[in-house]
Amino acid sequence: MSSPSTTAEVTAADTAGRWPLLLLLASGLVWLVLSGVLALIASIQLHSPGFLADCESLTHGRVTALAETTFIYGWAANTGLGVALWVLGRLGGAPLRALNWAVVGTLFWNTGLSLGLVGIATGDATSFALLEMPRYVQPLLVAAYVAIGVSGILAWNGRRTDGTFASQWYAVAALILFPWLLIAAQTMLLWSPVRGVLQAVVNGWYVQSAFSLWLAPLALAGAYYVVPKATGRTLPSYDFASLSFWTLLFVGALTGGRHLIGGPVPAWIPTLANASCTMLLFHYAVVALNLRGAFSGGGTALRFISFGLVAYLLGAVLDAVTAFRGVALVTQFTYFATAQQQLALYGGISMFLFGSLYFAVPRLTGRAWASAALVRGHLALAMFGVLLLVVTLAAAGWTQGHDLNHAATSFADIAAHTRPWLLGATAAQASLLLGNLLLLVNFAISVSSVCCSAPAENSFRQPSTMEAHAS
Amino acid sequence: MMKNGFLFFIGLLAAFVFGWGGIALGSHLQLGALAPYYDDGEGSTFPARPQGLASRGQLVYADLGCASCHTQQVRRPDFGSDKDRGWGERQSVARDYIHQVRPQLGESRTGPDLANLAGRKAPYDGAELTQFLYTGIVPGTRVLNHPPYKFLFDERKIDGEVSANALALPASLAPAAGRQIVAGERARTLVAYLQSLNTPYEFPEARPVTPAASAKEGAHK
Repeated sequence: MSSPSTTAEVTAADTAGRWPLLLLLASGLVWLVLSGVLALIASIQLHSPGFLADCESLTHGRVTALAETTFIYGWAANTGLGVALWVLGRLGGAPLRALNWAVVGTLFWNTGLSLGLVGIATGDATSFALLEMPRYVQPLLVAAYVAIGVSGILAWNGRRTDGTFASQWYAVAALILFPWLLIAAQTMLLWSPVRGVLQAVVNGWYVQSAFSLWLAPLALAGAYYVVPKATGRTLPSYDFASLSFWTLLFVGALTGGRHLIGGPVPAWIPTLANASCTMLLFHYAVVALNLRGAFSGGGTALRFISFGLVAYLLGAVLDAVTAFRGVALVTQFTYFATAQQQLALYGGISMFLFGSLYFAVPRLTGRAWASAALVRGHLALAMFGVLLLVVTLAAAGWTQGHDLNHAATSFADIAAHTRPWLLGATAAQASLLLGNLLLLVNFAISVSSVCCSAPAENSFRQPSTMEAHAS
Repeated sequence: MMKNGFLFFIGLLAAFVFGWGGIALGSHLQLGALAPYYDDGEGSTFPARPQGLASRGQLVYADLGCASCHTQQVRRPDFGSDKDRGWGERQSVARDYIHQVRPQLGESRTGPDLANLAGRKAPYDGAELTQFLYTGIVPGTRVLNHPPYKFLFDERKIDGEVSANALALPASLAPAAGRQIVAGERARTLVAYLQSLNTPYEFPEARPVTPAASAKEGAHK
């Protein structure tokens, strides 16, 4: 890294928010590792159906739901909230207030999530994608999320600067919109369910909104903050950023119907999704223009973010392409859709979050990451894992899609044709799990050193030493 | 707008209402009051209400996450191979699902579509389905290609007569002499549900659009 123009790396906002924010980030990492174990089990079961088949709690349908729930509500939510609060505190220009609310909220959020997972494992799963947790924990989750968000909203309202920044818009949007989404979805699906196929429509709307109105804004809040900070340059084409922001918020949720092509729903839903996917490309193009500086910078954070940027864009293009009926004819209902989901959630969202995490943690602790080797190991395993996972699943899905359209090919044959690719996907899951374990260990050592030793003075003025180099 | 906190908040609210109102409420207004179809000729309404046992079976299906590998939506005959695979003569329509507490449309076809399982030309009977759930081996083949759900079954000592719900397993899978494998309550309801999956009635809106077809009333096919 050659442009360390940033000074005063650890601000008052960081010291005040250290433990509440580290609690959120630590929770996120523990859930990430757990979701990796569950995803590995689910992946093995796809090519070896007998694996753990006698364990009812880990039967394929349940373990898939458990892996997805831990990944989204454990890893992405905790980490994303930690990053969003940190960004809002720093840009607000004052230490975060109401952090005791955030701590209590974090504890309740993770308690609710744990209860929800026990519910899924013991037979209370709802069977709605991304809303698998039983309804008795859902109100708790809403309340906990609001409690965590209070700090961020106070920092936004009490900001001392005249202007606002893109990372603030995204962070505030995620804090405010998610409780509305969750309330609307659980009301229409769990408390007073709509009839028949409308459940699938509402579920599709919720899944897409959770991505476009919650997870993507959380991830972008971090990326829009870290890229200019780490490169020391202002963002290019910044004038378009607000238009891109509103495009994502208004159009994003309409793209959810692309999974219902050919289904027993009104045809305008997938058609609207098709058109919206293409319209939404404007948002992605502007994000690419804004964040392109990430490619020229060095350092761990920017490496993760530039990888995330490519995956985020590629995911959008694939979504737009597969929303056309001719392509969906092959890819719909196959592993190809799983590959797209993993590309967006792991390649896009998670890589952005990793980048923000690597940038934020040294500034919260006042110390560099404990081990540069562990950082390099995580970077390599994560990038390799995501690439392998997406490529193998896409190849498996393409094979499966063509086989499905050929009516004479039996399901036993399809399983045989996709098996080599699915074995590759299992290797990818193992690589991701190992990488994330390295990150968890490194995080634990780095944070525990705060209690045991005085900070090294030079790390304050040398941002380059704070982010262990990956090259 | 980005500087004014109030306007920004209104913008967020508008974005939420736009997506939620457009998709969730919009489709609800269109389909929320969809009624069963009354056939004058047959003097009854379609689709039929599911039996109690089948309804309970749907909850088992939902809880085990069967929808993570099976869809229950047949696509148009000219879109994909659904008809050629024998999954259904006609496409599924919204009316098929109105009595279902928790429709399981699904998003993945790792396994076959099940919307019409009981209505197919070569359906499995209840005993075959029950045995399949236990062994994970498709009748007539030897490969394990489905997770065996042994936890839905009990192994019991044969006390007097063999239970009516006992499985007739091949020698390689059979329990020790004097013992039997009996389908538990969940296995029985799940099988009842799977055997209730049938969409025989052709609704007017389910007919393929052809110039000659007069789409006035529905009929059994």
